[in-house]
Amino acid sequence: MVLKLLGNENLPEGGRFPSEGIENFFESSESMKRWELFRKSEIKVGLFFEKAKKATGSIVSFLEGLGKAVKMTMEMTVYIFKGGISLKDTALQMVEVGWKSFPIIMVTSFFVGMVLALQMGTATISFFNEPVYLGMIISFCLIKELGPVLTAMVVSGSIGAAITAELGTMKINDQLDALYTLGTNPIRYLVVSRFLACFFMLPLLTVIANIVGIFGGMFIANYLWDVPSNIYFSEVLDFISLLTFLHGFIKSFFFAMVIAIVACHKGFNAKNGAGGVGIATTSSVIYSMVFILISDYFLTMLLTTLNVK
Amino acid sequence: MIKVENIHKSFGFKRVLCGVNLEVYDSETLVIVGSSGMGKSVLLKTIVGLVKPDTGSVLIEDINITKCSSSDLHLARKRVGYVFQEAALFDSLSIFENVAFGLRTLTSLKEDEIKQRVRRCLEMVCLNNVESLRPSELSGGMKKRVGIARAIAYKPRYILYDEPTAGLDPVMSDIINELIMYLKKHLKVTSIIVTHDMKSAYKIADRIMMLHEGKMIFDGRPEETRQTKNEYVRQFVEGSTRGPIVADKNF
Ligand SMILES: Nc1ncnc2c1ncn2[C@@H]1O[C@H](COP(=O)(O)OP(=O)(O)OP(=O)(O)O)[C@@H](O)[C@H]1O
Ligand SMILES: [Mg+2]
Repeated sequence: MVLKLLGNENLPEGGRFPSEGIENFFESSESMKRWELFRKSEIKVGLFFEKAKKATGSIVSFLEGLGKAVKMTMEMTVYIFKGGISLKDTALQMVEVGWKSFPIIMVTSFFVGMVLALQMGTATISFFNEPVYLGMIISFCLIKELGPVLTAMVVSGSIGAAITAELGTMKINDQLDALYTLGTNPIRYLVVSRFLACFFMLPLLTVIANIVGIFGGMFIANYLWDVPSNIYFSEVLDFISLLTFLHGFIKSFFFAMVIAIVACHKGFNAKNGAGGVGIATTSSVIYSMVFILISDYFLTMLLTTLNVK
Repeated sequence: MIKVENIHKSFGFKRVLCGVNLEVYDSETLVIVGSSGMGKSVLLKTIVGLVKPDTGSVLIEDINITKCSSSDLHLARKRVGYVFQEAALFDSLSIFENVAFGLRTLTSLKEDEIKQRVRRCLEMVCLNNVESLRPSELSGGMKKRVGIARAIAYKPRYILYDEPTAGLDPVMSDIINELIMYLKKHLKVTSIIVTHDMKSAYKIADRIMMLHEGKMIFDGRPEETRQTKNEYVRQFVEGSTRGPIVADKNF
């Protein structure tokens, strides 16, 4: 009767409450031990299914999110080409992007240039007894890889996170719904300007990062390894062709698209209050970093086969 | 006329609306009551097209907003104003810009007309000298009233209020009630009002409907709610704990 009330039919013989009497109730009797064992095995099976369900669930929700992001991008593209651009908003966002990330990018890229000079100087000295090709190696690394990727990382961590947090907060406060009721499409009103700002500012910031980084490299090459700056710069200029420059430049446009789309998508789909906005912001940064690094490989492959190198 | 036909809506396994029908006639004030969590807000959001119903249709005059082109949707938006339960003001814009937002997007008024209209709308909800403030600088009740001003500013024919008087003091509640009646009398505005406040419901309603467990279980004039044999309505109107409505059914 008691068992029926608890709604458990599959109990082993003896049941959850053994009949030995109340004095044994808290000691593990034979049947209690069997019950424990039974429960453990059940939990294991249950856990497996739970995990399997979770795994498939997260794959499904990932694909769902991907679909939503693609749909948002297409809608945004339509607005951009149909002329739904607010120049004022876009300019404001561009200032925002530049202003927020410029100082960090100056500092980080200067140090990246310095550390490259330090490493390459040490390495070439151990092989050739003197630092050689520093200008070439540093500008190569910076312009083709580190400049675009590191700038994208910094921007995704600062601007991307800010966009997701802002749009996510608007979402959970019903502000996006309010935009709809006032006849405004949030994609047109919020996404277009942010996307364009990232799209034009990230390549610009990348160029600045490259230049600052090359100067950082020169600083160390000059003071630590006694490479005269005119030799350093002539190496840089000898090595960099327009195509080399384009290689990194084109990649940074692509990274900008990744950052803006991921950030806006994650913000628009934030849910469950303030904590949800936090989760959305974190996953926005993580997703854009992972996408940037993965797509970097394939973009490099593609650009190299197209002879942009 | 707004006509809602056989709306069903579930979130995952949770069924919120199961076959809701309602019709609001021109310049009528319809009050929808119901226990908390019964889906009143979801119903209102379905009517303006913020929530897509699983089945069923919503007609705003001749436009079926569950399936229509985006230009028709824009036209429908011009006709409908929506007051959000939590105000939903744009917190990056000033109060003036908040109220002016719909005027800029849905009407072709000139800047000085917009200024005039915004001031007038804020006066109607008893707010003065707040134009330059940010929403975060206002109290909850003030935000609510700005939300109302924003929804009425572009003179929509239909206004949906989600608990317009919740969080307002009794005097201010009555001012809002009078505003609703004023809009009805002078602008022939049709209103759907979701509220828990039976006192204002009796004051403003032409008709009261009750939503319970996804269905409309009552539809009648305000007086009828006092005489009805429907146990649910009786309990709700009296605000009694005794009756068929169970407070913690969801949990
Ligand atoms: N986006 C959503 N996702 C999942 N469930 C939702 C969502 N929106 C609403 N619900 C569920 O729908 C039900 C109805 O919610 P709704 O906000 O319409 O209630 P309500 O009648 O307006 O209550 P109240 O009077 O407290 O405002 C709730 O149980 C809620 O859990
Ligand atoms: Mg509600």
